[in-house]
Amino acid sequence: MALATASGPSNATAPTFGVAGTRRWILPVATFGLLAIIAIAVNPNVPSWMDIGLQKWVRDRYMWTVQNSNSSWIFTGVFNPLSDAINWLVESVQWILRTLRWPGVLALFAAIGWMTAGMRAAVSGGLAMAGIAVLDVWEPAMVTLSIMVTAVGIALVIGIPVGIWTSRSDRAERIVRGFLDTAQVMPAFVYLIPVTIFFGIKYPPAVIATVIYAVPPAVRLTSLGLRSVPTVMNEVGESFGCTSWQQLLKVQLPMARKTILLGLNQVIMMAFGIVVIASLLGADDLGNLVLKGLQKNDVGAAFVPGLGIVLLAVALDRISTGERSTSTRPPLIKLPTVERRTGTLIALGSVVVAAAVAKLADITAIPDALAVDISGTINDAVGWVQDNLRKGVPIIGGTQAINDFLVTDVLEPLRKFLVWLPWLLVVVVVAGIAYLSKGWRLAVGCSICLLLIGTMGDIPGGADGRTHLWDLSMDTLSQVLVAIVISVAIALPLGVWAGRSDRAQQVMRPFLDTAQVMPQFVYLIPVLFLFGVGRGAGVVASVIYAIPPCIRLTGLGLREVPYTPREAAISFGATKRQELVKVQLPLAFRSIMLGINQTILMVLATVIIAALVGAGALGLVAYEGFTKPIQKIGQSAAAGLSIVFLAIVLDRITQAWGTSPEQQRRS
Amino acid sequence: MKTHRRSVKLLAASLALTGLLVACGSDDEETTDAPAGTEAPGATEAPAEGGDTPATGEGIVLAVNPWTGSAVNANVAKVVLESLGTPVELLDIDENATWVGMDDGSIDAVLEVWPSGHAADYETYITGKQSVVDLGLLGPSAKIGWYVPTFVIEEHPELATWEGFQDPELAKLFSTAESGDDLGQFLMGDPSYVTFDEQIIANLELPLKYVVAGSEAGLITSIQQSIDEKTPLLLQFWQPHWLQSKVDLTEVKLPEVTEECLASAAAGDGLYACDYAVDELYKAASAGLEAKNATAFKVLKNLQLTTDQQNEIAAMIDSDGMAPGEAAAAWVAANADVVAAWSA
Repeated sequence: MALATASGPSNATAPTFGVAGTRRWILPVATFGLLAIIAIAVNPNVPSWMDIGLQKWVRDRYMWTVQNSNSSWIFTGVFNPLSDAINWLVESVQWILRTLRWPGVLALFAAIGWMTAGMRAAVSGGLAMAGIAVLDVWEPAMVTLSIMVTAVGIALVIGIPVGIWTSRSDRAERIVRGFLDTAQVMPAFVYLIPVTIFFGIKYPPAVIATVIYAVPPAVRLTSLGLRSVPTVMNEVGESFGCTSWQQLLKVQLPMARKTILLGLNQVIMMAFGIVVIASLLGADDLGNLVLKGLQKNDVGAAFVPGLGIVLLAVALDRISTGERSTSTRPPLIKLPTVERRTGTLIALGSVVVAAAVAKLADITAIPDALAVDISGTINDAVGWVQDNLRKGVPIIGGTQAINDFLVTDVLEPLRKFLVWLPWLLVVVVVAGIAYLSKGWRLAVGCSICLLLIGTMGDIPGGADGRTHLWDLSMDTLSQVLVAIVISVAIALPLGVWAGRSDRAQQVMRPFLDTAQVMPQFVYLIPVLFLFGVGRGAGVVASVIYAIPPCIRLTGLGLREVPYTPREAAISFGATKRQELVKVQLPLAFRSIMLGINQTILMVLATVIIAALVGAGALGLVAYEGFTKPIQKIGQSAAAGLSIVFLAIVLDRITQAWGTSPEQQRRS
Repeated sequence: MKTHRRSVKLLAASLALTGLLVACGSDDEETTDAPAGTEAPGATEAPAEGGDTPATGEGIVLAVNPWTGSAVNANVAKVVLESLGTPVELLDIDENATWVGMDDGSIDAVLEVWPSGHAADYETYITGKQSVVDLGLLGPSAKIGWYVPTFVIEEHPELATWEGFQDPELAKLFSTAESGDDLGQFLMGDPSYVTFDEQIIANLELPLKYVVAGSEAGLITSIQQSIDEKTPLLLQFWQPHWLQSKVDLTEVKLPEVTEECLASAAAGDGLYACDYAVDELYKAASAGLEAKNATAFKVLKNLQLTTDQQNEIAAMIDSDGMAPGEAAAAWVAANADVVAAWSA
C-alpha cells in the first residue's frame, strides 16, 4: 500500500502501522469490523434525537427576512443599492449592444475573436452570432448576453483574487473548497426565492444566481494554474529580485494563463447552465422563451431559443479562449500578419463602421427573408424519434423497455437495498472505502459528511407519514450511482476515440458543446416521451448532461501523453492496442479520473432536473422550496445540503483514486 | 514581459472602444433609437424602478404567470389601462417570485391567483405583513381533481367514481415501472399545486401508488402518451387548462367536500379524504399601488371576466395562434361596454 506513505502529512498516522507486513492491517480491520458490528447492533434507522433542527432554523430566518425585507437596514442600506448597481450594469451592457445593433455586435465579436485568437476564432465567433440573428431571437439573446457578461465579469472579479489567495495557502484552499462545492452542487431552486427577496426581481437575482454558479471554476482553475507553475520559474524570478507582486504579475499569472483561460471557458459554460432557471424570476431573455415553449409542450418552440443559448455560449467561448484544441499555448493577443497597432485599429474600425452603417441604413432587425424558423423541422424530427424509438426497436425493444428494466431491475432493488441497510453500516462501509482510497483523514471526513445527513431531520410524506432525509438520500444515491456508471461507460470509449482521432474530436465537439449548454428544459419533453415519467427519465437527463466533461478530459489526457514514452513503446514493438492500454491510458489516468470526477459532480448537479421528470427523492424536496417557500424552505435547504454532502463524499473518494497511482509511481 | 505589454494594449483598446461606443451612442439615443428599440427591455424598465417619482398615469408592472389564463387577464388589463394613459409592462415571472415582487413593490399586481396553492402567501403578505392587498375575485373558478382519459371510463364504467379504484384488479390497469406490479400509479404534477392526493389514497385505502411527475410537462406528456397508446392513466389535473379542449379527459368522482374535510385540510391532520374544493380565482396588488396610480388601482379592482369570456380569449391564443396582446385588443374592441364599466 504505497498510498499510505506518499501523501504527506495529511495521513501521517497510517505509515506507523506499516512497519511489519501484516501488522499494519490489524488496526484498520479491527476498527472497521468493530464499528460495523456496532452499526448493525444499534438502531437501523436514524434516531430522532440526531435532528439538529436545521429545517426550523432556516425557515425562521426566512420568515424574519420576509417580515423585514422592506424595513431593515440590511436591505435598504446594503442589498437594495447593490441590486440597483447590478441592474445598472446589465442595462448599460444592453444599451451598448442596442446602440451597436446587430451588424455592430457581429463585427465586435469577430474583432475580439481576431485580436485574441486569430482568424478562425473571428470567423466562428461571427458565424455563431449570425446564427442567432438568423434564428430570429436577437433581442432576447442580447438580454441573455448582457446578463452573462455582467455575471461572468463579477465571477472573475471575485474568483481570480480568491484563486490567487487559495493558491498561496493550503488552509485557505481547504476552507474555500467547501464553499465552492456547495455553490456548485446546491440546487439553485433552494436559494432562488431567498435571492429574490434580497435582490428583487428580473436581472439582479438572475446575475447573482449565475455568479454563485460560475465562481467555483474561476477560483479552482486560477489556483490550479498558479500552483502548477514550476518552482524553477519562481526561483528564477526570485533570483532576479522580483517582489512578490512582480512575481505574481510577471511570472506566475503569465505562466498560468492557459489554465486560467480554461477557467474562463468553464465560467462561461457554467453561467449558461443556469440561464433558464434564472429567467423564472422575470428576465425577458432566451430562457424565458424556452419556458414558454415548454409551457405549450412545444419542443420546437423551446429548441430555437435553446439553440440560441448554445450559439451564444459557443461565440463567447471561441472569442475568449481561441481554438484551444490545436495550439498548446494560446496567446491572449496574437494579431496575425499585420502590425499590431494597425490590426487593432482595423478591428475596432470595422466595428464602428458596421454600427454606423446599421444606424444610417436603419437596420434594427434581421430582414425577414433571412430569418429561418426551424421549430417545425425540430418538431417533425422529435415526432419521428418518439414514434420510432419508444417501442418496436429490434433486440433492445425500445426506450420504454429500457426504462422499465432500469427502474424495475436496477434502480428499485438498489434503492431498497440501500434504504434497508442499517444507516450506520453505510457510514462505516463508505469510511472503509475512503480509508482504502487515501487514509484515515478522508475516512473521518466522509463519515462526518454522512453523519451530517443524519442530522437533517425528517419530512412529512411517505408510507409511515414521515420520511427521513437519510432514506431520500439513499434513493438519490441509488439513482446517482446508476447514472454515473452509465455515463462513464458511454464517455470513456468516446473519450478514447476523441483522444486518438482528430476527426472524431472535430465531429464530437459541437455535440459536446450542445449537450453541455443546451438547457435541459429543452429536452425534458422528448426524454419524458421516450422513457415516461419516473427515475429512468431522470437518469437519462443526468447522463446527457454529465458525459461531455468526461469525454473531453479523457481525450485531453490521451493527447497530452508525451510522445517519448509512446515512441519507446512503439520501438519495443508494441501494437496500437498495447500502446493505448499500457502507455497512453496509464499516463492519462489522472486526467481521466478528473473527468469521471467531473461527471459525478454533474450528475449530482442535475438531481433537481431529474426530479422535474419524476425521479422524486432529494431533488423533489429541494425543488419544493421554490414552489412553496413559506412552508417548505427549511426542508428544501436540508435536502439541498444532503445533496452537497453526498457530492463531497463521492468527489473526495474519486479524487483520491485519481491521485494514488501517481503517488505509487513516486514512491 | 511581452505579454504584459500586450494586455495593456488590449486594455487600452477596449477603453477606446467603449469611448467610441459612448460617443456614437449618445446622439443615437436622442434620435432614432427609442422607436427602434421599443421591444428592448431597458426602455420599459423605467416604470418598474420609478417608485420614488410618483405621478398620475405612472406606469405599472403586471405579472404574467406561466399559463394562458394569466396572460389573458394581464393583456386585457394592459389594453384597457393604456387606453386610459397608464403604460403597462408585462413581466413573465414565476408564481412564487410574483409575491416577493409585489411585497417590495417591483410588481404592482397579479390578476389570477389560485387560492389553493397560495394560502401561506395570503396569510403572510396580505393578512400579516399587509404589503399586498386582496383585489377581489376575478370571476372564473377553477377546480383541481382526479382525471382519467375518457376511453378508460368507456372500457370500465365503474372507474367513473373513486369506489371503482378499490378493486385491486382494476387499479392494476394503471401500474407502471414506478408503481410496481401490485399497485396502480397515481400521477401528481408540479409540486407547487396543492395536493391532498397522498392523504386521499391512504384514507380511502386505495391500492394506488403516489408518484410525483415533478412538472406540468410531465403530466401533459403522460396524458398524450396515454391517449396515443391507449394505456390507462390516473392523474391530478385541473380546469381550466388549455389541454382540456384538445384531449378528452373525464373527472373521477371523489367523496363530496364536507365541513369535516375542510376542517381537516385547515388543521393539517392528515385525515383529508374527499374531493378538492372549488378554487375562486382572485386578484392581488402591491399595497403601494393605490397611492402610486389610483386609476390603475380602481380599474384592476373592478376588472372581472366570466369563465366564458376568459375561455373565448384563451381560445384565440391557444387555438387560433393569435399573440396574447392582439387577442386582448380584439376582445376589448368588441366588448367596449364590459370594459367601460371597470373605469366608471
